Amino acid sequence: MKFKVKTIWRVKRFDRLDQEANKRRCDIAILIMFLCLVTFCARLWHLQVVQGEHFREQSERNRIRSVRLQPPRGKILDRTGRLLAGVKPCFNVCLIKEDVRDMEALLAKLSPLLGETEAEIRTRLGSGHKRPKYIPIVIKRGAEWETLSRIESRLFSLPGVFIEVTPARKYPYGSIAPHLLGYLGEISREDIQKKRYKGARSGDLVGKCGIEKRFENDLAGIKGHRRLEVDAGGRLVRVIDEKPPVPGKDLYLSIDLDLQQASEKAIKEYVGALVALDPRTGRILALVSSPAFDLDAFARGIDNEEWQRLNDPVTRPLQNKALQGRYAPGSTFKIVMAAAALQECIINKNMSLNCKGRFRLGRSVFRCWKWSGHGQVNLYKALVESCDIYFYQVGLKLGIEKIAKYAKAFGLGSKTGIDLSNESSGFIATPDWKLGRHQEPWQEGETLITSIGQGFTLVTPLQMACLTAAVANGGTLYSPVYLEKMTGPDDHIVASFESDPKNKLPISESNLMIIKRALLGAVNDEKGTGNKCKLPDVLVAGKTGTAQVIRQDRRRQDEDLDWEYRDHAWFVAYAPAERPELAVAVLCEHAGHGGSVAAPIARKIFKTWFQIQSPLPVLIPPKTAFNVNGVNDHV
Amino acid sequence: MTMFDRRFLEHFDWWLFLSVLLLMAIGFVNLNSGSAATGYPFQWKQLQWYIAGTVLMLSLVVFFDYRLLIVYSVHIYLIMVFMLILVVFIGKTVGGSQRWLSLGFMNIQPSELAKLATVIVLSSYFYHDDRPQYGLMDLWRPVLLMLVPIFLIYHQPDLGTALFLVLIFASLVYMARLQWTSFLLLLGSAIAAFPLVWEFLKPYQRNRIINFFSPERDPLGAGYHISQSKIAIGSGQILGKGYMKGSQAHLNFLPEVHTDFAFSVWAEEWGWVGAVILLGIFFLMLYRGFLIASQSRERFGAFLAFGVTAMLFWQVVINIGMVMGLMPVVGIPLPLVSYGGSSVFITLIGIGLLLNVKSRRFMFQKGTRTR
Repeated sequence: MKFKVKTIWRVKRFDRLDQEANKRRCDIAILIMFLCLVTFCARLWHLQVVQGEHFREQSERNRIRSVRLQPPRGKILDRTGRLLAGVKPCFNVCLIKEDVRDMEALLAKLSPLLGETEAEIRTRLGSGHKRPKYIPIVIKRGAEWETLSRIESRLFSLPGVFIEVTPARKYPYGSIAPHLLGYLGEISREDIQKKRYKGARSGDLVGKCGIEKRFENDLAGIKGHRRLEVDAGGRLVRVIDEKPPVPGKDLYLSIDLDLQQASEKAIKEYVGALVALDPRTGRILALVSSPAFDLDAFARGIDNEEWQRLNDPVTRPLQNKALQGRYAPGSTFKIVMAAAALQECIINKNMSLNCKGRFRLGRSVFRCWKWSGHGQVNLYKALVESCDIYFYQVGLKLGIEKIAKYAKAFGLGSKTGIDLSNESSGFIATPDWKLGRHQEPWQEGETLITSIGQGFTLVTPLQMACLTAAVANGGTLYSPVYLEKMTGPDDHIVASFESDPKNKLPISESNLMIIKRALLGAVNDEKGTGNKCKLPDVLVAGKTGTAQVIRQDRRRQDEDLDWEYRDHAWFVAYAPAERPELAVAVLCEHAGHGGSVAAPIARKIFKTWFQIQSPLPVLIPPKTAFNVNGVNDHV
Repeated sequence: MTMFDRRFLEHFDWWLFLSVLLLMAIGFVNLNSGSAATGYPFQWKQLQWYIAGTVLMLSLVVFFDYRLLIVYSVHIYLIMVFMLILVVFIGKTVGGSQRWLSLGFMNIQPSELAKLATVIVLSSYFYHDDRPQYGLMDLWRPVLLMLVPIFLIYHQPDLGTALFLVLIFASLVYMARLQWTSFLLLLGSAIAAFPLVWEFLKPYQRNRIINFFSPERDPLGAGYHISQSKIAIGSGQILGKGYMKGSQAHLNFLPEVHTDFAFSVWAEEWGWVGAVILLGIFFLMLYRGFLIASQSRERFGAFLAFGVTAMLFWQVVINIGMVMGLMPVVGIPLPLVSYGGSSVFITLIGIGLLLNVKSRRFMFQKGTRTR
């Protein structure tokens, strides 16, 4: 060993050639190394400077999760502050697709927990190609407590799944005025694309109809957000910043809960609509469309079967018939006819016409509803007993142009101006229209049937209610409102709502009084068609209507006809007759006579209203202003 | 033994020494941030190794003569093979592969030692087998020598280090001057053998190679590490996010921040400027290393210096290339910057040998005689 160590110092030195070759090789190595250095610097430049902004964004997206803070939706209350639609927490099972590593395994685990098939869950996940990343998808809305606890206890093994709490609607008094309130539904793709609602994104609930839709922006409030810093495992490191949500505004409706409930109950058996408003202010106190639908069911989520039922083409539960239903007004139209004739001086209150039960015009015969005839009929009797022959003759003298003019002045054929979408304007025919539409001249026979509210004329229950209110309040036609006020978070009033007087009825006070007295008789006289609405302590004034759906050549009992061929029953009324507080329009589709079907419904509503107004037995307004049993010559 | 000579100091490579000190300083600073991210105080252990390694390095320069390695290369080779075999039987398994030997107070990684041992053994071989050019047939002995450790390391399995030994071998064969024909033949057969090698690869290894060529294939799966590393480096932009403020590292989006991805942490926090400065220091170190090889007056010293520098060079290239997405994922640490005792020791011993070669250059200068 010692020897070897000694000899090793004598290592061979390079000769000159070797030394040069050695240097050359090292120089090449240095060159290669230099090229690597340049490459790396260039690559770094590319990553950090050229693409730096992009990568900085990606790292921020890695680091920061933005959580939206949902504001509680504004409450909807009745005029006395009773809660119609409130807010409750709703637990949604959500999923962030980007956090899921193995979707198949996750779905297999989730399926039994949610009690749904994998395919069902998958459809909810959607294709989502254009969906922004890291946005939670709701895979189960309003999960039951049991489901929640099962998922909660397994969250650690379900990456990407979390439970979100969102405010949902609750209806403490049950489903009140569903057509008016409207329901919430998932925002449509179109709404998102058109950015109709600020800050909304897919999966959000927005008002789909009624007040919820009309006042979506006020009710929804402003969403807040909280930015969180998370680590690679999605665990919270700290809260970066937070913008608290602004709660939605509360809406006080003019609807009276008691009256609304009574109205809904009264008309429940029929397909139809009912509107009750305060003639003094034009405020809607009750608005019903029947059949109703269940708001709670919408809050839970509607299955396909139920949706089919709600879209039944005959009963149309989703349609708000008070605003959208268009019906022939029938004899209720005689109020307009009487006003027009009086104002145009075609008749006066004493002038009599003869009713033999039939009226011949050219070769056609038009009948009174009472085939035996009413005999000598003056205006009072014509309205009380709803004589058709009287109004045929009046109508002929007036002419269709005048009839249409007055009908329009009474608010028919145009929208009432209620602040809801999809209101129907109804229809009032004129000869010009018929010429334009059917290329046919107007027939006198059409004038006749228009005079008794048949033919082309179509009105909505809301229009009739407004008309009745206008008659009741002395001639002011209001655009009805359903809102009292909107309040902010600390109950300060953001906006209050008054109804606008649309116009004055073109009728003199004395003429209006003649009509009002007749309407009083129609309810209170023995022969009055609307005497089923008579109340013992309050004077009700009203007019029945029975709108034919088909032309009847023979007289037939309603019961013999198929449901859809039966007459529509109308009743419009107001009370108390001296100082009207409540005007009502009731329509029941294919229900028969207005006097026998619609009038009792109106009676229940008046009864309820006056019980609410004076729960204790109090003085009933004295029956002095009007003579109940006949025409008072002194007025 | 040699007496201390004033000329040691004259020939001491201060630039190389300075670059090593700078790298250790950067390594410590960077590891301080990485440790905060992982929650383990790696930086203090690393500091101990830096100090112990530097002492070892300097004492190697002063008290050791690299020429002794010509004799002891056989022993070194045998010890290396023995340790690699030991790993097979009593090695500790970490992360699915058996790489570690437990010495009680510390764990050593024989495959790290094998890198330096290979350089020494091959240098010694080529010193003895001195010919102006090598043909293929002249290489069968060193190939045989290499196959044993390569196989043992591949068996652990540690494909990265096994391939790394091949790279060191190739570098030294380059230094020994291979015939062009032989070189082309080797290259051709390597390409031809690739499908065969592919069959032997484990699925995760194949995945890494596939992911290298298409990293966006599965951003949350196997390509995750590289994607996150690129995000970390890129998001540093020009001046970086600031020391200890690298969100990718500190929120655990980056894996292995203390070892393989240390460079990503540095680039995220110090930006392009910091990364280029670090690259520059590496360049300085390697440049001085190649210069020492170039200036060596005799064959063994030239091979040894070249081999050690090439070993460091390949580590730097592979590690940084990998974290920047220029190369497949291979677990090769960045010399002196990555955490790891074995790696630090081997690197510092290697640097010690480089300094040693340089410091003893004067012994071969004209007018001096060897003893």
